[in-house]
Amino acid sequence: MRIRLILAIWACKLAIFASRLLGKNGSSMPGQVALKICPRIMTLLAGQVKQDIIVVCGTNGKTTTNTLLSAMLESSGHRVVCNQLGANMIWGVCCAFCEKTDLWGRLHADFACLEVDEASTVKVFAHIKPDYMVITNLFQDQLDRYGEVDLTVDFLRRALALSPETKLVLNGDDPVVSQLGEETGRVAYYVCVDEKVREESSGGSEGRFCSFCGSPLSYAYHHYSQLGNFTCPNCDFRRHEPDFRVHGVGLENGLSFKLTHGDKTAAFDVDYRGFYNVYNIALSYSGAVLVLDKAPDHQAVLSEYQPQTGRMESFTINGKTVILNLAKNPAGFNQALSTVMADTRKKNVLIGVNDNPSDGQDISWIWSVDFERLSDESVKNLVVTGYRADDLMLRMKHVGFSESQQVKTRDLKEAVCGLLAGEGEVSYALVNYTVVFTMQEILKEMEGGAGYGA
Amino acid sequence: MERKKLIIGHLFPEFLNMYGDKGNILALQNRLLWRDIDAAVKTFGIDDEINFSALDIIVLGGGSDREQKLVCERLQRDRVALSEYVESGGVLLALCGAYPMLGKHFPLKNETLDGLSVLEIDTEPDAARHIGDVVIQSDLMGETGYIVGFENHSGKTRIGDYKPLGTVCRGFGNNGEDQSCGVIYKNLVGTYLHGPLLPKNPKLADYLLSKALLRKYGEEIALLPLCDQAENEAHDYIVERFLK
Repeated sequence: MRIRLILAIWACKLAIFASRLLGKNGSSMPGQVALKICPRIMTLLAGQVKQDIIVVCGTNGKTTTNTLLSAMLESSGHRVVCNQLGANMIWGVCCAFCEKTDLWGRLHADFACLEVDEASTVKVFAHIKPDYMVITNLFQDQLDRYGEVDLTVDFLRRALALSPETKLVLNGDDPVVSQLGEETGRVAYYVCVDEKVREESSGGSEGRFCSFCGSPLSYAYHHYSQLGNFTCPNCDFRRHEPDFRVHGVGLENGLSFKLTHGDKTAAFDVDYRGFYNVYNIALSYSGAVLVLDKAPDHQAVLSEYQPQTGRMESFTINGKTVILNLAKNPAGFNQALSTVMADTRKKNVLIGVNDNPSDGQDISWIWSVDFERLSDESVKNLVVTGYRADDLMLRMKHVGFSESQQVKTRDLKEAVCGLLAGEGEVSYALVNYTVVFTMQEILKEMEGGAGYGA
Repeated sequence: MERKKLIIGHLFPEFLNMYGDKGNILALQNRLLWRDIDAAVKTFGIDDEINFSALDIIVLGGGSDREQKLVCERLQRDRVALSEYVESGGVLLALCGAYPMLGKHFPLKNETLDGLSVLEIDTEPDAARHIGDVVIQSDLMGETGYIVGFENHSGKTRIGDYKPLGTVCRGFGNNGEDQSCGVIYKNLVGTYLHGPLLPKNPKLADYLLSKALLRKYGEEIALLPLCDQAENEAHDYIVERFLK
């Protein structure tokens, strides 16, 4: 067994090295090779983690949450296995373990923080029994891959059944997430935003009904999508009493809030945008408190943390600001639109949607996004792009932007030039998964002055 | 002259709006308003009573299994009224799960419900799920043309002697065997094509609108031509990409 393990690790490391030589960032091929040579590799390596293994799941925010959690543990002096590139299928997880293992098959790590795609949880839990599972939220996402939210819940249920000792850290404001805590009877910690933060229009219909009796849930207050302080009028299901209570939320000039656990309160003040980041930060902090059994130094971690590609990432091109944001589904887009419309400056807006398999080939959801909010005087120019630019133009026509008021191009460079040519003071680009990486490269290159004559 | 007006009944959008079904309501409503015909959208919740005779167009969309089950159980109560509405020429657009729901059996993931038997069509569950872009050829709108959309279902529906909405050029359609996709019966159109079907298929939208106007006012009412540039470009993009 030991020989197989060592062979697998060597092969994986060699494959990582080779693919980097070729300029690729791939983690799936090396992980595949390792699992082929030693099918038990993940169990063997996970068994060497000295303290806890934490898995992070959820439709939106899992990369941010997992990366922050890992950084908080590292800043407390621990060695952590973390699949940082968002490589969240089984091969990516396997690859992350191999990278932290030495050539003799010894893993030197105190913790493992693993972001796992919901549909991959069953496969991953067959190898690894995590101590904690963090679930950020469960929204309608990429329907053609997962079918529907109920199917995603099913994956998580089946995964949890494989690992009876796993404790849960849950977004307590999300009824779809909370039901897993209720029905499994696991030890669960609920993280909730325990006050009304703002008026918010809704988006996405999933989960506004009781998971147990089907009655429409009622809300004392409501944050966004199905998140809020919910109660079922017909049965016992209601928002759980929070174990980690977020309060005093401020959304002006970044984010500020307080988080109370037991008799301790921590204050947060960060230069992030977007209310959803309150959940990402609160969940990662709560996870860190639970596994460390003390408060981590969160402020240093948070101020150092660089948002990933396209998480409200800012570029300056010829003195103009362009803010790039990844949004993959109605909940993500509605949140991004809130952030855009909270900026009162005159603005140009670009919407880009591709339909590659990793984006989800079904783009029907663009009709569930509240794009109606863009019909406002402050929106000066509208650019639609990506493979499904035509669908977006038609969607925007029904918002009230005629064909002649929009720039439509499937070419992303042209789209960026169209955005910069607008008369707004600031430009926002809201795009989905496979658009974001290409667009980031284009923006970086333009920022560096290579220029496209814009 | 009195302004014409159609009343669109959107049934249970709180349950059946999973795939952007709102697009169909927008298309019907705006295509009337752009022609100076009034449009009122009546939204029905699961506990609301439905007066079918007051409606000119009914739209039923798609939801999750859990939600579709609740809707099916709710509509059993109005089965006869819904049948009478269809028999009397009422316009009904049933998409996604609402399509097999109108037949004899309505299979869900773990169980099979009795359908509403508005149509003599029947559906059996299939082990595979059929997901992808669809292009069908239809002669519904006067001339032969394409209807484009997206399907995501695991049912196999057989429509017997009914006329299909069209023949499959790309995709799975009703059952993957006889090339048929969807069904037309009087002014009912049912299909697995889900979500925003009408925005990109303006001729189908206009077909439904003209049938509803004819039924309500008892005479052919010509629909003014609209600038359908955005509609046609979105439609043609799918045809070009998947057929050529």
